[in-house]
Amino acid sequence: MKQYLIKRVLLAAGILFAISIITFFVLNIIPGDPVALMLGDNADPQAIETVRHNLGMDKPLVQQYLEWITGFMTGNMGESYFQHKPVSSMLVTSFGYTARLAAVSYAVALALGLSIGIIAALNRGNAIDHTLMTLAVAGISAPSFWVAIVLQIFIGLRFKAIPISGLGKPAAYLLPCLSLGMRYAASIARITRTSMLEVMNQDFIRTARAKGLSRRRTVMVHMFRNALIPIITVVGTDLTTLFAGSMLTESVFNIPGMGALLVDNITKRDIPVVQGGVMVVAMLCVLIYLAVDLLYAAVDPNIRLGGDR
Amino acid sequence: MKLFKRILVLLTVVPLMFTTACKKESAPRIEQAPREEELVLRFGQAPYGDTLDMQISTGSLSASIADEVTESLLRFDDDNNEEVVLLTDFPTISEDGTAYSFELKPGVYFTNGTELHASDVKFTFERMFTPSTGAKSYSYFNMIVGAKEMLAGEAAELAGFEIIDDYHFIITLEYPYAPFIENLGTSYANILPEDACTAAGSSWGIDANLVGTGPYMIERNDPNTVCVLVKNPNYHGGEVKLDRIEVYFYADTTTKLLAYENDDIDVCDLSAAMLSQYMDAFANEITSYHPLGTCFLSLNLQNDVLANVNVRKAISAAINREEIVQYVLNGAGIPACTYLNPAIPGHDETYGVYEYSIDNAKALLAEAGYPDGVTISGGMVRQSEAPIAEAVQGYLAQAGVNLVFDVVDNATWNAERAGGALPFTFVTWNALYADADFQMYNYFYSTYSAGKSVNYNNAEFDALMDEARIVIDATKRTELYQAADRILSHDDMVCVPLYYPQSQFLAKPYVTDMKVGNLIYHLWNVGIDAQAKASY
Repeated sequence: MKQYLIKRVLLAAGILFAISIITFFVLNIIPGDPVALMLGDNADPQAIETVRHNLGMDKPLVQQYLEWITGFMTGNMGESYFQHKPVSSMLVTSFGYTARLAAVSYAVALALGLSIGIIAALNRGNAIDHTLMTLAVAGISAPSFWVAIVLQIFIGLRFKAIPISGLGKPAAYLLPCLSLGMRYAASIARITRTSMLEVMNQDFIRTARAKGLSRRRTVMVHMFRNALIPIITVVGTDLTTLFAGSMLTESVFNIPGMGALLVDNITKRDIPVVQGGVMVVAMLCVLIYLAVDLLYAAVDPNIRLGGDR
Repeated sequence: MKLFKRILVLLTVVPLMFTTACKKESAPRIEQAPREEELVLRFGQAPYGDTLDMQISTGSLSASIADEVTESLLRFDDDNNEEVVLLTDFPTISEDGTAYSFELKPGVYFTNGTELHASDVKFTFERMFTPSTGAKSYSYFNMIVGAKEMLAGEAAELAGFEIIDDYHFIITLEYPYAPFIENLGTSYANILPEDACTAAGSSWGIDANLVGTGPYMIERNDPNTVCVLVKNPNYHGGEVKLDRIEVYFYADTTTKLLAYENDDIDVCDLSAAMLSQYMDAFANEITSYHPLGTCFLSLNLQNDVLANVNVRKAISAAINREEIVQYVLNGAGIPACTYLNPAIPGHDETYGVYEYSIDNAKALLAEAGYPDGVTISGGMVRQSEAPIAEAVQGYLAQAGVNLVFDVVDNATWNAERAGGALPFTFVTWNALYADADFQMYNYFYSTYSAGKSVNYNNAEFDALMDEARIVIDATKRTELYQAADRILSHDDMVCVPLYYPQSQFLAKPYVTDMKVGNLIYHLWNVGIDAQAKASY
């Protein structure tokens, strides 16, 4: 286990290092000079040179990269070219919005998805099962930004007490989290149902029932726990896409999260902000995948990580 | 059944628990309910970007906020007429037209408590010409003696600015420059307090770091969510009508309009693309106006194909401007008949809308040596102009011109255009006030046209622009600009004017005196009719 963990951490560090190099050099070679944007069409060459020098952009690329990565590793992500604020403080603010949106959305998704999946499995083949699975397919198929607009119009505008943008009030979480969570709820419901059905037919379930265990205890303790492995895999994948992919929902609901921050700063080539943002998202994804791997072992003792099964 | 019930409870309670557990944060949603007696305007607009420093930003979104906080010596009223703000009167001009004498209004205070003095005005212009400031708009003022030396880093002081005493100063120009007084009325010349601005350094204009003499001051500002302005109780211009202005930022146009429908905001702009959806249900709340701009197809005269004037004229003839305005813009525009906007002196009303004739376009192409049509590739357009570009592309295809372009982001577009080699693009170029120099000089004058990927170099046109800059007589200037515009957009067809845009905004019936001065919202006169609002 320890060996496996060390191997995974080293692999994660390698991936992050590769991402940092790719991000840095791609951002520095694509068209679009941030200084030209800063100073406008009629910029004086002297002014351009002065600003480039002040920002350290006249140094060789490799030197710029080394300075940036050294700073990053010591917690200094640099300063925004345009807003003159520390990148870390900008990321903390935006990440706060995204994290809250993602956490509440996924809580909604888990509550809905697990419940629907279990109910559908327990009612296999009947009308409840068919209805819930049809809804799940619809949930997966409907783009979250479309659901967002529909919710804004049919719920937000109709019941004017529910805010249709921002995250300023607790009630404001309702629409964005529903629109973002529904898609994930649908995929969780489908995998939960499949996984539960697989476990239901196992001998140990029949044994548990034959021994006189209650239906609730059989379902929640024996069936659900054993059905968790594929669900955890889906949750891990979902969480990474949720953090990196909530941009459209953030845009529709006017939430200034990571998506908005990255897009805005990519279009104006605020390189320190984009680099910092990409690295934070990458680190998060790597950590989530690592956590999922470790969870496998915790949930299923049969799994021995590191090949010593 | 029991299990089913438990799951149902779980389904209801868990999301609720998460929702209510979330702590409240500032966001683009309405803040706490204002006190009943407070008059608050809630204004929705797109995020202004990074700064409210109008020496660095040239955007109207920044100016709409910055102009409530900081003021220039003069400004343009709702009808685009210039009026004095921080001066006792318009400056007097020496006989040779190069020296301007100013007198500041006494007893004008910045909201940090310091009095406005001539030294603050001098500081403002010196900051503008200091290279490290990165001012974008210095070219409207770099005819002041000593400006070029400062821009080159050869001087630290502006030689052409003489302080007589705290309230009197003289600005001397290198040469007579007719629009100088008008340029002083733009947001770019907003006067800054020397001590506060120096102390803020590069943070000036960021978040709430902006102090001025204006009717409002910034209470707090998050450029992603909301900027709250509160009344300046000591405003030199008299009692301010509103207690607060809350400017909410919406990156998504649809969300902004839904917020208006949801009564979350009182005022917001309405784009031409959304006009048809709102023109019936909100007819009484829509106000339309015509900014001083022109949308045109910008052409690079160094491109092998576009260097031929007949190709440029063929492109113009192949475009049905009336249809574009009617169908693409939902009527929010006026088909162009020449480059200069109709409200700008120099616009020649004798021209009709450019004739639409596919036959004529084909004949001109044949004359240019392209009887079988031609492909012009490598163009770039921004998302904002993409619908117009696609419509023009469709028209040109009928005449045999295959226009190939990519839709790119702002940074790429700027870099390519500044490089001087972009074959064509679409631009809406707005003047800040009704003067042809503003709309033509910085785009088509030989010195500047390379940086716009136009590469126009016509000595006759340049001479007309130069002469018009130093002529004070308004009639003579108008004639010169008419002649220049004829060369630009008819004889040489350097660009293909498409339409003069119309803009519009939505305002609730209880909002009074809501006006826009050429894309910049004038919020300093806006009021709220409390009775009308209560009964709304």
